[in-house]
Amino acid sequence: MFKLVVQNLLSHPIRSLITAVSVAVALFLICLLTSIVTTLQSGLAAASATRLVVMSSISLFVDIPLSYQERIAKVDGIENIVKWQWFGGYYKDQKNFFAQFAVDPERMWAVYPEVKVDEATKQKFLTQRNACIVGWQLAAEFPEWLETGKVPITGALFPHPSGEAWQFDLAGVYRSEAANFDNRTMFFRWDLFEETLKSTGDAPGVGVYVMSVEPGADIERMKAEIEGMFENGPATVRCDTESEFTRQFISMLGDIPMFLGWIGAGVLVAILLGAINAMLMAGREQTHDVGILKALGFTNSAAFGLLIAQSLVLCLFGGALGIGLAAALEAPIALAIGSAFPGFFIADSTYIQAALVSLGVGLAAGAVPAWNALRVNCVEALRAKGA
Amino acid sequence: MAESMIRVRKLTKRYQRGGETLTVLDKLDLEMEEGRFYALMGPSGSGKTTLLNLVGGLDTADDGELIVAGENIAELSADELAHWRAANVGFVFQGFNLIGVLTARENVELPLKLTPLSSSQRRQQAETALKLVGLGDRMDHRPRQLSGGQEQRVAIARAIATDPKVILADEPTGDLDRKSAEQVLDLLVRLNREFKKTILMVTHDPAAAERAQSIVHLDKGQLGRIEHNQPVGAAR
Repeated sequence: MFKLVVQNLLSHPIRSLITAVSVAVALFLICLLTSIVTTLQSGLAAASATRLVVMSSISLFVDIPLSYQERIAKVDGIENIVKWQWFGGYYKDQKNFFAQFAVDPERMWAVYPEVKVDEATKQKFLTQRNACIVGWQLAAEFPEWLETGKVPITGALFPHPSGEAWQFDLAGVYRSEAANFDNRTMFFRWDLFEETLKSTGDAPGVGVYVMSVEPGADIERMKAEIEGMFENGPATVRCDTESEFTRQFISMLGDIPMFLGWIGAGVLVAILLGAINAMLMAGREQTHDVGILKALGFTNSAAFGLLIAQSLVLCLFGGALGIGLAAALEAPIALAIGSAFPGFFIADSTYIQAALVSLGVGLAAGAVPAWNALRVNCVEALRAKGA
Repeated sequence: MAESMIRVRKLTKRYQRGGETLTVLDKLDLEMEEGRFYALMGPSGSGKTTLLNLVGGLDTADDGELIVAGENIAELSADELAHWRAANVGFVFQGFNLIGVLTARENVELPLKLTPLSSSQRRQQAETALKLVGLGDRMDHRPRQLSGGQEQRVAIARAIATDPKVILADEPTGDLDRKSAEQVLDLLVRLNREFKKTILMVTHDPAAAERAQSIVHLDKGQLGRIEHNQPVGAAR
């Protein structure tokens, strides 16, 4: 019977191919959209509830004073504090956009132990003033950095006093083991940043302070204390856990998961209707064959199975194509949308979900023609016009 | 007297057409012997094909008793009837009714898939049946690559592949030229004489009917006369 299933599908090769390819495209899109949501959520899930982030209470884009660092560090329960400043530069061309931050090198690994570098890289970053480190995905995107050891970055927000690009020496490559810390960012030393700006008379502010806290510390008390500390200061601050900060950052992008969910649902409905249409046509054309099979002694269930199997073979084949395509293109997609969705990956659960969607579409598309085949009277089916 | 292969008692079949009830078979009584070749004749609407469909278990009667190959098929469920058809009946239709996407061999193998035979046994049996009907050199041809006469011979090979007790043929020569029709009738006669198959053939063609041992006439759903071209039991 399987041969008959395949032969029936091959008897209309263009229709079968179009249906399978449309299922493949739909499943590829579903994998992609689901993975964007998964990537955002995994960052959120991996974000620490025991790391604190201090930012301006007005906006993430408003700096807070450098002097706050010493006072925050004295709050009971703070273990380590590192400051971050968004640099907003680009490499050679504005289209080569990625995140760069000026950070405190010596405190970086104390606050982010999940960021791994080899010892030589760490030592170079700690000792060499113009050193920088980059994530492995970024290094893969610009392999010339590894060849030359030089990373020239044009400062869009902070132009270099010379009018040229900022020149960094590549200390090495980091690899993050956690989804909340992407592998497509560049970090350079705060002291270089501060001293260079000061030479032109500017006083740099800080984007955010990130603190690790001591085990068992009272997070709520610490948040209240830090916010209260600067209530009457030159810049009021907001203190959140890293996970809450990440959630708010994602919400700044709008309700992306819901938006992507609607697109995914739309794609799913469209492909389901397409597959149902194709299978209804196949079912009508094969009514005569169903009559022949029943006359030969095949049961109603076998007739049902013939039609549902065709739908399943078609949709699972299309699904496998789409899933395979998504798996093959995972790395290039991660590179292409890395600046918008750093750390993009396709989870195993997404592949399983996509396979289940193909199965569901196959069953739903084949249900009506299969039911008709099951119920049709043998004599009436034999009278039907064949394909 | 040979044993009865088909026994019909007060068989009634009605259809609903445009709000009216049409009685196609009206309390029909009929008995057909095992191993005999019957032609079923009558004007259009006399109930020939309906009777053939009922005897083959393709349709169900409204009333009456219908015993074929020792089974009261009126009492069987749809699935039981399907299994019974697979084991006891081979069909030959006017329009051949081959599955277009399958080769001649695959078409003949289809009913064998309902038997416990292995794949190689099925293949061998299908080839034997095709050789028997003279199509040993056309096994891998699809129906559209065959002539009408060849298609009908494939259908006959399919009908005998499972070695059924009864072969039911509905106008098997209706779509064929004279020469092909003769070949098909020769085959049916051979199946009856050499392999002792009970054959019931619906036909409008008196020449085709002459090849049968008995001609049963139906008229308005009731039994007319029965002619015997050869004495009952002569072919045995």
